[in-house]
Amino acid sequence: MKKFDVLPGFKLTLGCTLFYLGLIVLIPLAATFGKTASLSWEQFWHAVASPAALAAFRLSFGVSFFAALVNLVFGLLVAWVLVRYQFWGRRLMDALVDLPFALPTAVAGISLAAVYAQNGWVGRWFAPFGIKISYTSLGIFVALTFIGLPFVVRTVQPVLEEFDVEIEEAAATLGANRWKTFWRVILPMVMPALLTGFALAFARALGEYGSVVFISSNIPMKSQIVPLLIMNKLNQFDYAGATALAVVMLVISFLFLFAINYLQWRSSRHRAQP
Amino acid sequence: MQAPSTFHAPRHVRRCGPTTEPLFVRWLLIAAALVFLGLFLVVPLVAVFVGAFAKGAGHYFHTLSDPMTVSAIKLTLLTAAIVVPLNCVFGVVAAWAIAKFDFPFKNILTTLIDLPFSVSPVIAGLIYVLVFGAQGWFGPWLIAHNIRIIYAVPGIVLATLFVTFPFVARELIPLMQAQGRTEEEAARVLGASGWQTFWRVTLPNIKWGLLYGVILCNARAMGEFGAVSVVSGHIQGVTDTMPLHIEVLYQGYDSAGAFAVASLLAFLALVTIALKAWVEGKGAALHPPGEKIST
Amino acid sequence: MSVEVRNITKKFGKFAALDDVSLKINSGELIALLGPSGSGKTTLLRIIAGLEFPDNAGAQVLFYGEDVTGAPAHKRRAGFAFQHYALFRHLDVFENIAFGLRVRPFLTRPRESEIRERVEKLLKLVQLESLAKRFPSQISGGQRQRVALARALAVEPRVLLLDEPFGALDAKVRKDLRQWLRQLHREIHVTTLFVTHDQEEALEVADRVAILRGGRIEQIGTPAEIYDHPATRFVHDFLGNVNSFAAPRTVGEQSVSSTAFVRPHDIRVVRELAGEATLKARVKRCNAVGPVANLELERLDTGEPFTVQLSKEQFRELRPQPGEEVFVELQNVKIFPDDYSI
Repeated sequence: MKKFDVLPGFKLTLGCTLFYLGLIVLIPLAATFGKTASLSWEQFWHAVASPAALAAFRLSFGVSFFAALVNLVFGLLVAWVLVRYQFWGRRLMDALVDLPFALPTAVAGISLAAVYAQNGWVGRWFAPFGIKISYTSLGIFVALTFIGLPFVVRTVQPVLEEFDVEIEEAAATLGANRWKTFWRVILPMVMPALLTGFALAFARALGEYGSVVFISSNIPMKSQIVPLLIMNKLNQFDYAGATALAVVMLVISFLFLFAINYLQWRSSRHRAQP
Repeated sequence: MQAPSTFHAPRHVRRCGPTTEPLFVRWLLIAAALVFLGLFLVVPLVAVFVGAFAKGAGHYFHTLSDPMTVSAIKLTLLTAAIVVPLNCVFGVVAAWAIAKFDFPFKNILTTLIDLPFSVSPVIAGLIYVLVFGAQGWFGPWLIAHNIRIIYAVPGIVLATLFVTFPFVARELIPLMQAQGRTEEEAARVLGASGWQTFWRVTLPNIKWGLLYGVILCNARAMGEFGAVSVVSGHIQGVTDTMPLHIEVLYQGYDSAGAFAVASLLAFLALVTIALKAWVEGKGAALHPPGEKIST
Repeated sequence: MSVEVRNITKKFGKFAALDDVSLKINSGELIALLGPSGSGKTTLLRIIAGLEFPDNAGAQVLFYGEDVTGAPAHKRRAGFAFQHYALFRHLDVFENIAFGLRVRPFLTRPRESEIRERVEKLLKLVQLESLAKRFPSQISGGQRQRVALARALAVEPRVLLLDEPFGALDAKVRKDLRQWLRQLHREIHVTTLFVTHDQEEALEVADRVAILRGGRIEQIGTPAEIYDHPATRFVHDFLGNVNSFAAPRTVGEQSVSSTAFVRPHDIRVVRELAGEATLKARVKRCNAVGPVANLELERLDTGEPFTVQLSKEQFRELRPQPGEEVFVELQNVKIFPDDYSI
């Protein structure tokens, strides 16, 4: 007997979904791996392990990591303040956290470059100490912090909002003061969300181009991030080199994607309890 | 499993007592948060608008009415007008398939849909060059038929489609999953056709999530820089979008001009944020706090 | 020596949760706070724990003579068990119980070996030794509540406060845990105060029961006292099953509308007219399933419905039929004036 579903359109919608997905996402991505497969090992290695490339990887990973770390700490702070406290401008602050999501990266790039330049509104406070922000790694750090800002905040906020008051009350009745309650009870329970936010911010920062390209001096071997290196290779029609680098970045991105999904699965397991 | 969406329900105020910190600690933390956000968000935002008028209002309007700027604005709007509806429809279709039915490997499908989010914009542009560029898979065929995709508008549209691909879908999928099938099943039992069920039952339930996804999709579509930069060829007047035009002006040392164009996009960003906050309020009214909307 | 609260008033907006409540709990006693929702019982418990604070300046909370009215919760040493357990999900059972000992300030913190010893003793007391390494998500509701109790007891509290401890559990588990709590209390003799809306639980477990209503204590006494000698109409109606009949009285010149209350088991059913105090009634329904038989009857003079509870033996002797007319004799009738609504 033919089985049919009460709700129609399964085949149609699934088919369309797979078709569109394949067309826009999968086939082009496959092209990258296909192209790389046509390279010899030497070509691949040359592109990926050249001194310029290695310097770029070191820079990208290093600065992205620190930017994500700063966002981890301050993102938690911002989320805490937004969820737990009432103060004038709270709602405005809450909405503003989304700015990095909504603002085009080029706009962020030129603006950050200007503000943190030696004569910029913020940069001028650091100039007397000999600290240069724009056009140095520090500037890249600022841009990547900007770009990753909402990730930790928005991942942690729902967890804090849903946090059971009674757990904190229980800790209080057992003799823990606020600091101990935070350190031993709240923080461990928020940790999966924090790690997820960190991973998201890190992954985003790794691939970022627009906001970095304006604030960095983009000198090869010194201040060139991997996306910019790829862009340069494309401009020089070195498709092989660009693709090789892209494949490495893609593999790393996919690893991050799996790690993030795993972390979210773990954190939802923790939450699925009375 | 999805990367978390940015939609969240509003919070409750904590009562005072054993679960709040002493007053000075609270103010300290609030101050620290404000300084952090001020440094990274507020100051750069304000700088855009101030920088735009650095050479006076005359220069500002002169830049905006310049034919190159106008064509950049037109191209940006055209791209958004194509990309947003396409990804909107896709998002609804994908969410319907995933949320209302059970089939194996659903998780893999959702992860695949999320893929463009984790790909660097430059790589997003690169992959289309590899497919449609002169040396790409379809390169020779396209040249033979005199179709230009890379370094032309179609390439820009495609690259933008890629980067904005998941926005609507990842808002709708968790939302529709949380809502389940029961209302649609009830409608079917009462005799509604597939279309009627969708229009009269599903669509009203998802309208705020849909609007939300569309707003974000639009913001990204108009603001995309890296991917478009790779595929566009920077042909002024033809393949320059607004973000690319900002770069052109900035590299040309017309920073006031660059900020002028940037101010339009920054204004759009503020509208996006405001709409987002408004929709969130509406969505929360439909889904009372306690009911999770997104993963 | 006692735990005492004096003149506690607490308002939430306009709603008065507690209105000048005073209560004294003797050392080692197990007192139940019983009452309908909104009667203020949980609020009182939370005020004693330090999770809420009274509104009025004259209010006092005293633990064995020490005034803890203004002390924060983490300084009071009052053990608290929540209705939904509030166990720490990221810690296993052992660490949950040890928590209160681990967060002690450095100087008063016991050594690791002592912590281990105490936790193991408590695990034995609550009969959960085998579950020490499990996490809250891996144990049942009844087990979670026992862990919550062990956790509260670990800090050697001066008073134990239980907020509807069995409210979230199935009926059978509830019954078992009731007995268990009674037994536990016999063993450790901590002054205990527990809140419930289940009167069976209160009457079965507690040494004394305080009935709260609208933020005030209506009556306080042993279970037998309040059941057999209810002081107010509300208490009589609230506890156990009760029949009510309109009973207008004349007090001096005025007629005061009142209600007469009779328990279903204080009514005798006979076939012949016996004395003065019998009424005629018609049997509407008989339900003899279970340990007792319940009859639904209707008074022939006023038409008011009422129920009678008979033992199985009495039922077999009488063999009442639906539709039959019988005589009923009311005993232990209490009459209260109608000056408040239930």
